[in-house]
Amino acid sequence: MSETVLENVYLPKTAILERVVDEIEDVKTFFWRFEEDQEQESFRKFMPGQFAQVSIFGAGEFPASLPPSPTEKEVFFTIRKVGTVTAAMHAMKPGDRFAVRGPYGNGFPMEQYFGQNLVFVAGGIGLIPLRSCIVYALHNRERYQKVQVFYGARTPKDLMYVDLLKEWEQSAGFECHLTVDRKDPSWHGNVGVVGSLFQKPGVELPVENTTVFVCGPPVMFRFVLKDLKSMGFQDRQMVSTLERYMKCGVGKCGHCCIGVAYVCVDGPVFNLEQIKKLGEEI
Amino acid sequence: MRARIIDKKDLIEIVDLLRKEYEVVAPFYGRGRDTYFEVVTDENKEQIQLHLPNPYHPPKKYVLPQIQRMMRMSFNGKVRIEPTYEEKKRAIFGIRSCDVAGIHHLDRIFLGGTYRDIYYERFRKNLFLANVVCTQPGVDIDEDCFCVCADTGPAAASDFDLQLMDLGDVILALAGTEKGEKLFSSPVFRKATPAHIQKRQEMLREVRKKFASATSWYTAAVRYISMGKVTEEVWEEIGNRCLECGGCSYVCPTCNCFTVTDRKISEGEVERARLWDSCALSGFTRMAGGHNPRKAVHDRRNRRFFRKLAHYNIQRELSVACIGCGRCVNVCHGDVGMPSVVEIIRRSCAEKQER
Repeated sequence: MSETVLENVYLPKTAILERVVDEIEDVKTFFWRFEEDQEQESFRKFMPGQFAQVSIFGAGEFPASLPPSPTEKEVFFTIRKVGTVTAAMHAMKPGDRFAVRGPYGNGFPMEQYFGQNLVFVAGGIGLIPLRSCIVYALHNRERYQKVQVFYGARTPKDLMYVDLLKEWEQSAGFECHLTVDRKDPSWHGNVGVVGSLFQKPGVELPVENTTVFVCGPPVMFRFVLKDLKSMGFQDRQMVSTLERYMKCGVGKCGHCCIGVAYVCVDGPVFNLEQIKKLGEEI
Repeated sequence: MRARIIDKKDLIEIVDLLRKEYEVVAPFYGRGRDTYFEVVTDENKEQIQLHLPNPYHPPKKYVLPQIQRMMRMSFNGKVRIEPTYEEKKRAIFGIRSCDVAGIHHLDRIFLGGTYRDIYYERFRKNLFLANVVCTQPGVDIDEDCFCVCADTGPAAASDFDLQLMDLGDVILALAGTEKGEKLFSSPVFRKATPAHIQKRQEMLREVRKKFASATSWYTAAVRYISMGKVTEEVWEEIGNRCLECGGCSYVCPTCNCFTVTDRKISEGEVERARLWDSCALSGFTRMAGGHNPRKAVHDRRNRRFFRKLAHYNIQRELSVACIGCGRCVNVCHGDVGMPSVVEIIRRSCAEKQER
């Protein structure tokens, strides 16, 4: 972080939308590449947990987390339609142009976690930012000890990245536990909140030498932290990525300030010990 | 620092020297006691004065315009994204010491950190600051000034190119940079003697005593806020008085927050601009989908003063984000400008401790 970036950091670079995949209701994945190959090359050095600023022409700019792992070939965004700019993105067709700048933020220090157990706990679209770390961990499987994924959604229809979930469930040396709040006739798995998966017979979370990634809606976040705490996890073992309204992404506009931190440059990844010291409720 | 003296009648000569190289802006009187920055022309230059109230609108617009064009994006056919830069050599003649500190504060935000802000930098590197020391109570210094407490005035210690101070019979000029010193080659500047420098010290010592509110008592407030000792009820009391107009941010020389918006300029072409924004406004932290982590007005007040007094002081810049200009005191209908807030916090926390 000591190197100063001298060029115009606000100028996005033109990107081409290659294909669009429907995920769940109102959520789509957009595969894209930069028009210029050298932009693509430098962008691909991103870290899991970083984000980018996406411009949709005529609509505006918004921050989006990066669900791909740098170990994957393609880059893409998974975007929920929530406002005017994301709605404009959802209306785009393959071949359409838009613009991207980044990557920004600190990201998860995946190399620091080498040799540790990794536990991923996600709820709903909270899997989008964690997808990057999980794929990265799977790619570097031999560098980590036990790797576990706990993922919950409201209904089976709300589970993200279903093909990938199937792959993870079948991967050797990789535990993947799924749950839904409300089942439908197609569902034969666990029913209940994400935390209920920790109680499942045969599930054992190693507390020593472990980092837990937690990402999901605020209610789920609160309850999962409580569960983890009662199991003996320390605050600094639990990491998450925070979301805020952002305009610049580079620590100038002031919008993403939480207490003493700017989410865009000091985060978005924080551990719980850091979150508690921010001086403002998240 | 190099010192020179000039005769009072030659004041406009300095402006003319600057006008050879820069567009010069200076504070002028309006129709009453109001003052505002205006471009100096042949027509108005005779009205330039050394002593007048500091303009209500700070000079930050010369480095961070209220609306600044950033780029044009055309997307019918081949996409073109072209940055829009404004570049002008500009001198602010008569910028007060507090406002010099305000520019210094913005420098740290926009030029510091991992990313430099190229739009700010283009304004800043072309800017000449001709600082005037406030010496006349009731004219330069009003009852709301507290630069003495913010440690920014009445005479700026750094960050100016040229500093002028009215010593009564003559004007003392100090060069703060090489750019400023270059002006001294003009014959209007004459050698200063140690007696002039001594007079400067003596006058400043006297001027410091002339402030109605020489202190805003920051220290206690900074400590109480940083330690989380300010109760929710106190923030509510402050919040209840905030009318959510955003005025305090707009007139604050250190407030740097901005929003970014795209505006259609023709079919298939938009212009991206940034505009001043304020943490007093409820939309400041509202995310797409409606979730707003800072909904209540008192929470937003809490955040503003936390940021100015604790955040900046402790972690970022090792100084409070307040220069003691008193503009927020003037603008605030609810009287929750910086000195009032500091006082409310200090009183409530001290009272609690006495119990």
